[in-house]
Amino acid sequence: MEKKVLIIDDDVDVRTFASSVVENSGYKPDIAKDGEEGLNKVRKEKPALIILDVLMPKESGIKMYRELKTDNQLNDIPVIVLSGIAKRTFLRSQRALAEFGGQTVPEPEAYFEKPVEPEELEAMIKKLAS
Amino acid sequence: MSKLLLIDDEKGIRKVLSISLTSDGYDVVTAENGQEGLSLFQKESVSIVMTDMKMPGLDGLEVLKRMKQINPDIEVIVFTGHGDMKSAVRALQLGASDFITKPVGDQALSIALTRAEQRLELKQRLKNYTNNLENMVKEATEEVQRRYEFEDKLIQRSIDGIVATDEEGKILVFNSGAEKIFGYTEDEAKRSKNACDLYPEEPLEKTADILSGKKETAEDVFIMEDTSVVGKNGEIVPVRFSGGILYGGDKAIGSVGFFQDLRKIKRLQQELIKSEKLAAVGQTIAGIAHSIKNILNGLKGGVYMVNDALKKSGSELGIREKQDPDVKKRPHSELITGWDMVKRNIDKVSDLVLDLLSYSKEREPGYEKCDPNEIADEVCYLMESKARDNNIVLIGDFSERVGEIYLDPAGIHRCLLDLVSNAIDACIFDPDTEKEWYVKVTTRPENEGGVAFEVIDNGCGMDDEVKNKIFSQFFSTKGARGTGLGLLVAQKIANEHGGAIHVESQLGKGTTFTVRLPGKEGENAQF
Repeated sequence: MEKKVLIIDDDVDVRTFASSVVENSGYKPDIAKDGEEGLNKVRKEKPALIILDVLMPKESGIKMYRELKTDNQLNDIPVIVLSGIAKRTFLRSQRALAEFGGQTVPEPEAYFEKPVEPEELEAMIKKLAS
Repeated sequence: MSKLLLIDDEKGIRKVLSISLTSDGYDVVTAENGQEGLSLFQKESVSIVMTDMKMPGLDGLEVLKRMKQINPDIEVIVFTGHGDMKSAVRALQLGASDFITKPVGDQALSIALTRAEQRLELKQRLKNYTNNLENMVKEATEEVQRRYEFEDKLIQRSIDGIVATDEEGKILVFNSGAEKIFGYTEDEAKRSKNACDLYPEEPLEKTADILSGKKETAEDVFIMEDTSVVGKNGEIVPVRFSGGILYGGDKAIGSVGFFQDLRKIKRLQQELIKSEKLAAVGQTIAGIAHSIKNILNGLKGGVYMVNDALKKSGSELGIREKQDPDVKKRPHSELITGWDMVKRNIDKVSDLVLDLLSYSKEREPGYEKCDPNEIADEVCYLMESKARDNNIVLIGDFSERVGEIYLDPAGIHRCLLDLVSNAIDACIFDPDTEKEWYVKVTTRPENEGGVAFEVIDNGCGMDDEVKNKIFSQFFSTKGARGTGLGLLVAQKIANEHGGAIHVESQLGKGTTFTVRLPGKEGENAQF
């Protein structure tokens, strides 16, 4: 069976574009529109790789990332964060949440700031999903 | 009381007169002949001499003559025989103060002595007065000299430029402040310049009118808060001018002008305006950065998908074209050309936006320990194909002595990428097609663990005018291709590291950019 890559982003253009890149990398794309839907799909489909946006309605990528990485069942799925916000800002908010009482979570396997070069994204998908 | 010398060959007279004079309060010395009298005169400080005329040896006239030669101020009273008017007159001619006829009466003696005393006092007063006068003149001269020097220093030390002229506009004073503003030396100005060459127009006209007598009076001072003068090399120098006419009595005898150099103030004002503008741009950009990045991502995604589709159907189109060149050629080539236009312009928007973002506050530098050679190598790798496509040799020459250093790798990467991209453009724009173009990227260690990157090209180079402008906002020589921000961003990044960018360029020969970054040790390296 083809390995699945789950794309979680509220922007339909990103979902379409990333799906196309995933297909060209030789995997089957699956999509979710926010963190809540994303987490349900992760639990159900067990994807080989997650591509995650940060700023989304309902449940944000920041919170969803924490839930993924603190769940023993899910924390070995690699995550590519693809966001308009800078990596430092993302990491800072994770640190702040950790200090607030939660666990410390590891850095994501890859981080791309939008706009991403399609070739770089493709190479990273191939590297992390295999 | 004065010392008195009495010379008489008659012992009796000496005795009687001595007693009388001593009782009058004089300190009396006596001599019995002219010779003895003269030697006493030279030994004692005598102010009045009384001498008999007729004496053996040196007579009274001879004594008088010699004494007057020694001290012209001496008061000499001679005793003459009764009716001997001839020798009395002769004595007076030789400078005797008075004569008393023998036998010497007390009254005559007293009168003669009183007169002698008065004359002595008068002479002394005259002498004192003359001395005083000389001292006063000397003191006054010194005072004038001191004041002159003080005023001269005051003028010379003034930071403001001070120029004074005579009534014809000839330069009399030109201080060091004026030298700095106008660029002439004091000698040059005094020799060959005139008020017309130096004063701003309006005060010049007024000054000229008054000095030439066209107008009678004017305000005491002209003040122009914001005007300019023309310096030696034609430089327009902004100044605050104040000046006026100098009067000697009612007559205008010259003019004076004070020039305050406003160059530094103006420059600071401009820099302030510029930095405020930049800060405003930065804040605006930072505020909309997220949206812009998402839109760019969408554009790039769209390009990717169309490219993908073109690739998949491209071979088919290509084949059809070959088989039947006339039918499908036009629409297809238009599609390709149009699509290239879209892609090129998306790249342009993307470059501009990323430059703006880099320049705004949105991008925060993240410092970590890394190998500068690796960054330089990566940049060369990225630019290799662009260089090759344009027949440019890209050379990397990295010193192995460069160690790991704390810096913001993403920032330095962008900075070098901008410089290398510029260098390649400089070769592309170079009209001299005979050249074998190259772009060389080097690294070398600097003092105290720092590093220097050099990006050298033998492309078109820059003239001084362009060179002076390259670090200013939105300046670009590349027409529609440049964002006008690349070097500004590169400079900002270097400055954030506490480093600097230096440029050397020769028109037609090429350009060298040097980025120097200081070494910072430890985890908490602060920039």
